[in-house]
Amino acid sequence: MPKKLKTRLSLFILLGWALLLLGDRVDELRVYQGASIAIYAIAIGSIVLLTGYSGQISLGHGALMAVGGYVAALASVEFGIPFWAGFILAALISGIFGGLLGIAAARLSGPYLAGTTLALAVGLPSLANQFPILGGEQGLYFDIGMPPQQLGESFTQYKWFYWIAALAALIVFFLLSNLLSSRYGRTWRGIGSNETAIALSGSNPQRLKIVAFALSSALAGLSGALLVMTISTASPSAFPLALSLSVVTGAVIAGVSSLKGVIFGSVILVAIPEIADAISHRVGDTLRISSTLPGLLISILLVFAVLVTPNGPGENLRHLLHKGKSHK
Amino acid sequence: MLKLINTILIGLSTGAIYSLMSISLVLVWRSTRVINFAQAGQAVFSTYIAYEVALRTGNFWLALLCAVLSGAILGAFVDFFFMRTLFKRVTSGPIRAIAPVVATLGLLGIIRSAVGYIWGVEVKSIPAPASTDGIKIGSDVLPFSTYDALVLLIVFVVLMILTFIFQRTTLGLSLKASAFSPEIARLSGVRVDLTRTVGWAIAGACGAIAGVLATPNSLLSPNSLDILLVLGFAAAVIGGLESMLGAVVGGLILGLGVTFIANYVGSTLVFLSAFVFLIIILLVRPSGIISGKRSRNA
Repeated sequence: MPKKLKTRLSLFILLGWALLLLGDRVDELRVYQGASIAIYAIAIGSIVLLTGYSGQISLGHGALMAVGGYVAALASVEFGIPFWAGFILAALISGIFGGLLGIAAARLSGPYLAGTTLALAVGLPSLANQFPILGGEQGLYFDIGMPPQQLGESFTQYKWFYWIAALAALIVFFLLSNLLSSRYGRTWRGIGSNETAIALSGSNPQRLKIVAFALSSALAGLSGALLVMTISTASPSAFPLALSLSVVTGAVIAGVSSLKGVIFGSVILVAIPEIADAISHRVGDTLRISSTLPGLLISILLVFAVLVTPNGPGENLRHLLHKGKSHK
Repeated sequence: MLKLINTILIGLSTGAIYSLMSISLVLVWRSTRVINFAQAGQAVFSTYIAYEVALRTGNFWLALLCAVLSGAILGAFVDFFFMRTLFKRVTSGPIRAIAPVVATLGLLGIIRSAVGYIWGVEVKSIPAPASTDGIKIGSDVLPFSTYDALVLLIVFVVLMILTFIFQRTTLGLSLKASAFSPEIARLSGVRVDLTRTVGWAIAGACGAIAGVLATPNSLLSPNSLDILLVLGFAAAVIGGLESMLGAVVGGLILGLGVTFIANYVGSTLVFLSAFVFLIIILLVRPSGIISGKRSRNA
């Protein structure tokens, strides 16, 4: 095992242990939010892979999450497959679906791809109403069952969700960070900045883009399956257009060019509804404010992030530190 | 036979509205190289203005006029304060490719939340200026209504005005010149930045008309025009994204196609069929039915 890989592996194990301890220290709501953070982190990671590395854009990742969510629910309801296998299946099938989509996507440049994936996000979830097996508006009930007995009496359902989601996120990010620092990651990065140069150096940009799209979709599918686990139903309303957009927002806030900010972006995504809640309580809770404030906050944040920290807050921080050093 | 005629007529009037939305996207795309997703928000804001005016005065035409004006002002505002800043600030990194898209989406969210806050999230409606009941021919009733005919007429007039502006005025020439080649236009004395802002204003006005015309046949809510935006985008892509004529033809084709599927296959498949159509067009003829001179790798 190369040394770098070893360090990274021990780092992730350490991180996992810290997360495990953290799960015991905080209350139920925070544990549930922890699970959401892990799920959003996977989804944001999939956007970073797609946009920050291979230079493609997707406004339709909510739809791919829906594919994953429905696959997991269907696998458990119709075929009685254990939930963990359902998650793997969800990632696989969304990956295949994303690969097919990627064949179309690789031929499209920026605005075309943005518009097409946006159409996907608007259209696909409501398609579930067409097929009775998917349960229409009510959706499919997805229950992963109680946590195993061995974990003890006081081990709650939410903590079980948190464990599963956090473990999935750790595995995903371990694999992803290795992949992105490998030859593949570098070539993807190259496509993002200069496609012609990559083609000239002997790689096939089209194929690499399709692979990136498929992988990104697989991750989105996995996060969709996990999302369905925490809300226990896969329904069209669980995957609105707003979900696609907030995942992109999270990625932009985190800085699309690296995985380092992912956790920051997902914490913000989970925190925003709570912040909005707090504000609307403060100013007098009317339906008007409470229904528009989360959307407003997230949009302002998105615009702010694009205008002020276009390459992620990390970049600005580096600049700031550099300035500080040169003054000394 | 009657069903066929009716499908064609309804298809045309639906398509006419798509055309307007599509034009507003094409105008912005040509001058700024941005697909303005915020257009759905700008249009919905103007439509709410029309709703407010119609509620107070009961006059549809005054409402339409106010919507056009507010749409134009908002369009110019967005370009002047928003896109200019964006292009000044975002110059490098992987974000550059997605920044305009993401920024207009953010703007869409802001406008939509503001609209939801001002007017509430309950659905509203704008009364039509003409009957929305079907036209009677002898004993048969066509679902095509007087209002639908009026929509066709209004869109036709708007298209005439746009054609006049683009073919016969200096402004139209500057708009075309600064879209085609900003540097050369600047060298020949066109104030490119100002012209671009005017282009955004015209686009905003077109979007506003599309929004107002679409509303009497359905309902108004902060995100009621999202579907129109997506269909307008599909129409623009069918038309090649570069030409105004393409946008109109694309809108009409899409309107006819969607209505045929709704009437002969099933109304639940409308959106799916539009999406499939979009994908097919993109794969088979990526430069659109009426392709401009530029490739789409720009």
